[in-house]
Amino acid sequence: MSEPAVVFDEVSKFYGEVLGVNRVTLTIPPGITSLVGPNGSGKTTLMNLMTGLIFPDNGRIAVRGISPRNPEALMRITGYATQYDSAPRWATGFTFITTGLRLFGYGRTEAEERAWTALERLGLTDAATRKVAAYSKGMRQRVRLAQAIAHDPDVLVLDEPLNGLDPLVRAETIDLFRAWAAEGKHVILSSHVLQEVDVISDQVVLIANGTIVAEGRIRKVRDEIDEHPSQYIVRCRDGQASGVAALLFNEPHVTEVKLHDDRAGLLVMTRDRELFARALGRIALDGHRIESVVAADENVDALYEYLIGGES
Amino acid sequence: MTPQSFQSRARQAWTIARIELRRAFFAKRSLWVYALALLPSLIFFGHGIEAKFQTERLARRGLTAPPLLDSVREGEALDEVKARLGEPAEERWSVRTRRVRQRRQNSGTTTHVIEPAAGARFVRLNVTRPSYSGEPVARIYEVEVYGPKGGANLALHRPATGSIPCSETEGPEKAVNGSVAGGHDDKWCAEDWPLFLQVDLGAVRPVARVVVKHASAGGEDAESDTRDFNIQVSDDGKTFTTVASSTGAGLVEERTEIREVVYFDGQRRARLLFIDGALQQRSIRRLLDLEEDRMVFAGIFQYFYLRLAIFFGCLGIFMYLFRGEMSNRTLHFWFLAPARREVLLAGKYAAGLMASAAIFAGGAVVMFAAMLWPHDPVEIEAYWNAGGLSHGLWYAAAAALGCVGYGSVFLAVGLYVRNPIIPAAVLLAWEGVNGILPHALQKMSILYYLQSLCPVPAPMDAEAPMLIQLLAAPAAPASRPGALLGLLLLTGVVLWIAALAVRRMQISYGAET
Repeated sequence: MSEPAVVFDEVSKFYGEVLGVNRVTLTIPPGITSLVGPNGSGKTTLMNLMTGLIFPDNGRIAVRGISPRNPEALMRITGYATQYDSAPRWATGFTFITTGLRLFGYGRTEAEERAWTALERLGLTDAATRKVAAYSKGMRQRVRLAQAIAHDPDVLVLDEPLNGLDPLVRAETIDLFRAWAAEGKHVILSSHVLQEVDVISDQVVLIANGTIVAEGRIRKVRDEIDEHPSQYIVRCRDGQASGVAALLFNEPHVTEVKLHDDRAGLLVMTRDRELFARALGRIALDGHRIESVVAADENVDALYEYLIGGES
Repeated sequence: MTPQSFQSRARQAWTIARIELRRAFFAKRSLWVYALALLPSLIFFGHGIEAKFQTERLARRGLTAPPLLDSVREGEALDEVKARLGEPAEERWSVRTRRVRQRRQNSGTTTHVIEPAAGARFVRLNVTRPSYSGEPVARIYEVEVYGPKGGANLALHRPATGSIPCSETEGPEKAVNGSVAGGHDDKWCAEDWPLFLQVDLGAVRPVARVVVKHASAGGEDAESDTRDFNIQVSDDGKTFTTVASSTGAGLVEERTEIREVVYFDGQRRARLLFIDGALQQRSIRRLLDLEEDRMVFAGIFQYFYLRLAIFFGCLGIFMYLFRGEMSNRTLHFWFLAPARREVLLAGKYAAGLMASAAIFAGGAVVMFAAMLWPHDPVEIEAYWNAGGLSHGLWYAAAAALGCVGYGSVFLAVGLYVRNPIIPAAVLLAWEGVNGILPHALQKMSILYYLQSLCPVPAPMDAEAPMLIQLLAAPAAPASRPGALLGLLLLTGVVLWIAALAVRRMQISYGAET
């Protein structure tokens, strides 16, 4: 093995009858890796498996060569910011982190210094002495991040880390991810919005229904998406839909036009968004009254629908 | 990634224990544990206060010399006792009155003389109030009719009629069969109004005397005797003439005077109970008896404190060490720490143990102190010199060791089972029937070892049935070191079982994505 990796080898996990993840084989190199998939697809399950919060029913997992069944070694090099939005009642932002650090065997002074550094990095110094239970959702998200990084781990596992962050903090956080990745660390994060992470990720893993759908360098995955035809819903006035449909069908980039039953709506499928927009402009100038144009698949679910071949 | 030394793991466990102490001591759902630990102390404290208050109050009226107190004998008259002992510290009296039927000799049989003798063929008994008790049932064992010269009973075996009888075997003929000794069936019984019994003498005869034998003549309760009735005669069975009537015996008030006098010699209270002026009953007891209180303490400690308070206290504290964090969704913080699961278990157990031992050993010490404080300092000192201190320490130790044992059990149970009620019931039953189990199984109960750590055996009535004796005071290992070793071994095994579970434990907070 040339570089330390997080390796899943034929890993399956079932929750009773319900499937968690199924026969996942995956090698994650250092750098920023995003697990992307709709809610319930198995992202959190993969992360929990990686950190030993749950154990696989089949298969083998190694995090930089360490089994998740050995938390004593694993958690020294791993930090996991979960999505569980809970903290002990007694904890302030500061004690929440120092308490965790004391278990690493740090002395009081060092634990406090490290906690302070972590809080500073996430802009939580002002709130450090307040109870975590009284934090806003975004602050709780950040304090969990701060706790995960406080012991300077090599493998950072972050479940939906950008959820609930305001744009400024979000940009800062992303810079942090990049800095860690540059140091040769693993930064593994999850998101259910591809656009949110595709610019920052070195690698994207697309998950649906507990299986890996696509995996690889971000450009490759992007190209796959770009070739995918776009769908639009066009609504016209005064029963002109059939006329518009005929005009659109003559455009070479339009692959399919479906007329709605109400004779006012059209479902148009096109290979080229830009040409489609220009064509619509021409048709409107010709006097056809177009009421609205809505992209039918700008939501991520539609993307997955395409990627996984129609299952949802 | 160097393998960690034992010391650093122990330090980790200690860190975990210190963090967890707060939860162990102040978990909201376990605050009732304190009530369990302090309840016996409150009882002893209350007892002490009450005794002190009584001493104060009784002494205010003057003390009686102890020999005088002992000189009182049963049967003595109140005035004599008062003359000898002086005015009592306390005197209460009451009079109990009861309305009773005036008793006469042979009241079950009434004789009615008819003067002058009347000629009659039919003799009839009309019952108007059938009993003294108020029960509306007439019971006549025999009616005898005699002529002026006495002689034969004219009614004997003559045809008799009457109200519908209570049962077939209690018909009117039973009242003229010449017998009352044939049991409770040897009577005429009726409750159908009007109540009457009539005998046909066969021909008109002179009748001078009628004898009626009531319930008590046949062996029944005198309250069932006929109260009011009359006797009528007739020649033709149609026109009747009343010749005699009886309105029953009167009721009198029976008066009993009950007087309780109390004398006090500074320590002992003598309660003397006089009934109608004569001493019926005397009891002389110390208000505060160290010997007795120590036995009560031993009983409360073994039957309540060890078996129930510590049992349920440990349930409250240990059961939720893991389960509570699972429902609060905070358990994953521990699982994400760089510590073995066994170290986490050890840390949490240590926290629970520190809390429960402090609460219950502390409770035992407070209870011991509450038991001792009202007593005479001289007596306490004597007890102290005769091993009182070691008694107190052993009670505290037994309580703490109870926490060691029960704590491990409930920690393990909490890892395997979600709902505490059923396992708690099963365990309680298991510990309860410990005394009648085979010896090999007895060793698998915490109580078995705790028994012999208690310095004073629990009081047991020697006349209690064998089974109760076995259940309440099961066999125990002979020596303390043996018991200690056994308890620790058992705890070790239980903790090892708990470790197996915690190694396999996975985070499952319900709805997950």
